[in-house]
Amino acid sequence: MELTIPLIILALGAAFGLRKPEISLVTALVALALSIVVEAAILVSAMIAFVAILNIAALFLMKKSYLRGVDYALVSLMLIATVVALYSTSFAMLILAFILVSTPTYMLVMASESGAKVDVGVKYITFMVVATILFIIGAALTIYGGSVNSESIQTVGICLLVLGIAMEVGAAPLHYWVPDVFDTADPIPASIIASLAKFVPFVIAFKILFTVNTEKALLFIGVIAAISMLAGNIGALTSNKPARILAYSTVANMGYIIAALTVFYKPEFVYLAFAGVLLQLFANAFGKIGFFTAIREEGTNSVFSYIMALSFIGLPPLLGFWGKFYILAALIYANVMWLAVLLVINSAMSVPYYIRLANLLSGKPNKGLALCIIGISAIIMLLTVVPPNWLIDSSKVLVGYFKLGGV
Amino acid sequence: MISALLAPLIAVIVAPFFKPREAAVLSAVAFFAAFVGLLIDAFTGAYYRVDLVQAAEPVGNIYMFGDTVSHAFGFTIAFVSAMVALYSYPYMAHRFEEMGLGEDEFKKYWFLHNLYAASMLWLVYAGNLILLYVFLEISLVTSFLLIYMYGYGNRQWVALLYFVWTHIAGALALVGFLLIGFENKTLALDSIKTVSFLAWLLVFLGMIIKLPGFGAHIWLPWAHAEAPTPVSALLSPLTVGLAAYVLLRIYFIEPSFIIDHRIPIFAYGVLTSVYAGLAVFKQNDYKRLLAYSTVSQMGYILIAFTLGAAGILGVVIQYISHAFGKSILFMTAGAIIATFHGLRDLNKMSGMHEFVPTISNAALLGFMNLSGILTIGMIGEFYILKGLADTFGLPSAINSIAMATMLSVVIVFIISGLYSFYTMKRIYYGTPADYSKVLVHRLLDSPLYVIAILSILLLLPPFATWFIDALVKFLGVA
Repeated sequence: MELTIPLIILALGAAFGLRKPEISLVTALVALALSIVVEAAILVSAMIAFVAILNIAALFLMKKSYLRGVDYALVSLMLIATVVALYSTSFAMLILAFILVSTPTYMLVMASESGAKVDVGVKYITFMVVATILFIIGAALTIYGGSVNSESIQTVGICLLVLGIAMEVGAAPLHYWVPDVFDTADPIPASIIASLAKFVPFVIAFKILFTVNTEKALLFIGVIAAISMLAGNIGALTSNKPARILAYSTVANMGYIIAALTVFYKPEFVYLAFAGVLLQLFANAFGKIGFFTAIREEGTNSVFSYIMALSFIGLPPLLGFWGKFYILAALIYANVMWLAVLLVINSAMSVPYYIRLANLLSGKPNKGLALCIIGISAIIMLLTVVPPNWLIDSSKVLVGYFKLGGV
Repeated sequence: MISALLAPLIAVIVAPFFKPREAAVLSAVAFFAAFVGLLIDAFTGAYYRVDLVQAAEPVGNIYMFGDTVSHAFGFTIAFVSAMVALYSYPYMAHRFEEMGLGEDEFKKYWFLHNLYAASMLWLVYAGNLILLYVFLEISLVTSFLLIYMYGYGNRQWVALLYFVWTHIAGALALVGFLLIGFENKTLALDSIKTVSFLAWLLVFLGMIIKLPGFGAHIWLPWAHAEAPTPVSALLSPLTVGLAAYVLLRIYFIEPSFIIDHRIPIFAYGVLTSVYAGLAVFKQNDYKRLLAYSTVSQMGYILIAFTLGAAGILGVVIQYISHAFGKSILFMTAGAIIATFHGLRDLNKMSGMHEFVPTISNAALLGFMNLSGILTIGMIGEFYILKGLADTFGLPSAINSIAMATMLSVVIVFIISGLYSFYTMKRIYYGTPADYSKVLVHRLLDSPLYVIAILSILLLLPPFATWFIDALVKFLGVA
């Protein structure tokens, strides 16, 4: 296990960190650096690590927190779990990664500068525990159903698995916690939940569905995706608070990504769908970090906020466009035309609220670290001015790890 | 002269750092330089291509290329943008003052205006459908921001209406492009071999919204009327017609969709043109009136599409003549708005020729372009009629379809002529209203005449023979 060393460093750093937060900060960054160099397709890991670094930087913005010192380590732990999820082909390790990426957010969500927000924490943890249970039972049933050749068990398993993911990442119809939590929690923890925590559930879902490779429950996944896009967009169109708009935008974005899951039974196109999912997750992660930091700072430079909003809308050649582009391409290749058309209509529906969001958060200059975080989040959207071939290549490599080899 | 395409890029980057007046001149010079280069290319029928980057499937090779059709669209866009840049300076100064904004606002304006115009110019040189889509969306978002920030009326609502409709149009076309990519494993224009029915249909539907056709046109009068006038003078003459360019490129690869559905598309074009042409008579707002006239003119393009090689030549020339005519007309509307403090209600205008004779004469030249009198519009109408005769034969007692189509096209032409001169009479002639003669800013009227002169020059030899010959040769019109 290559990740043992970073984990030990992290544990030591966190232990000392409660006294001296600086130690934890350094060890968290060291662990980050160590964890990404372990396998091929390093560019994807590096990008995710970059999300984590921005998360840590955003935490640094909070002057105090009941978790100070440990919070850096928690973010770093989430990154290690994400890297494990990308490369592991063992079922048990994947479930472990799922739990490892979920539990740190239970603590992070309560962090704020005015003590622990226990009420938000209770609400969030309740939903997450149910989601985790649904997910684990669903995953186990799906694999078990495959080994005993029972289609009905497998179908039930896939449905539970998808419901678990839907609740975990905040997709409709199980999205009720998202606007509440995003609105009441401190913006910085909310940005971590909206960014780094989203990768693992989808990676694992892809792997399990790819392994069982059945067409059962395909329609179920498609319908969940369609409901989520629509509910998210309608919710965001009718919201006025930036945090609530962002919450519903998460719901809609998760819908787009779940739509890509419907391609899993066509092995020849999975790499395209997975590339789309990764790009969409990156666009979502950087955009959410930038916007939530802007909410905390009560505004930002209008150029930055418009770039991020336009990326969410899917304007080429920004990052958000390529995510939707590859998801659309995969859907069309796999002949799921109805979902492709729904995705297009929904992406057009999203225009008004992103523009409103950009407007609400425009017109206030930032300074120092906040400027850096928001600026980097915005400028990284321009990364794909050159078509992201590197991601397609990485996606092909990562699909090689999709077939699970047993417990 | 591919370097002609780089001149606008310089304007995009540099212009915001200059004082507003110098920036206007700089932008105009950059676009004018591009115009001259591309005009020479159009006359000589030059062809060039530049590879940019090789992307993974389904995108394929991304490159820029120029052929005679690109040059024809390209020099029009560069020329109109150059003139609108000059015109923008006095108009936007007036608009910023009206909105209580400072001169600093010009920085944003020049950046967006130049990027908007340049993205349209680059679009007609894009060699990959994704690159084309990228430029389509850049032109959309820049024009959207210009309307959103500096438009009239309920500008934010109008801007969103415009954005959502044209974004749907673009996204539908994108799904069509992706289907093409699925069938051909590439989106490079030179490597696409087939375009299936479904892909064609999606691209066609998307472009019908953008063009727009009857029914899908509801966003256009709002957007074109409430945009700040220099933006209207780019939106209406240049942007909507780019939908025709996109269809043209797909048509060159696989014309069967249009040929197989010739009659319904033709009828739809006639319906669009007649409906919008009649709607012009009912308008009481100068800019809204011009917007309806745009819809009517785009009907010509749909008609011309169905008429074989001569019709395709008609599409190209119709784009040019409409661009020239409509940019002149929108700028006359703007000149009146700027000079008479927001005057755009036709009921309050009458005999304006007395007060602003230069604007009135420019409007006459603009309407002559629309109705195809003594300007390049005449050649456009000629080729549409020639296409009709080539496609359906000459009208006679036994050839009833030729009779019906010829008659409907003639009615379409007559309606354009009628509303043009009816509007002239309503606004500029007749009993003068209660205004006094004012001095119009020099940049509010002279650019209009420059456009008018080019539109007349292109009707006359030697320009007409050079240019039409190059197009005829390229398109293989018998």
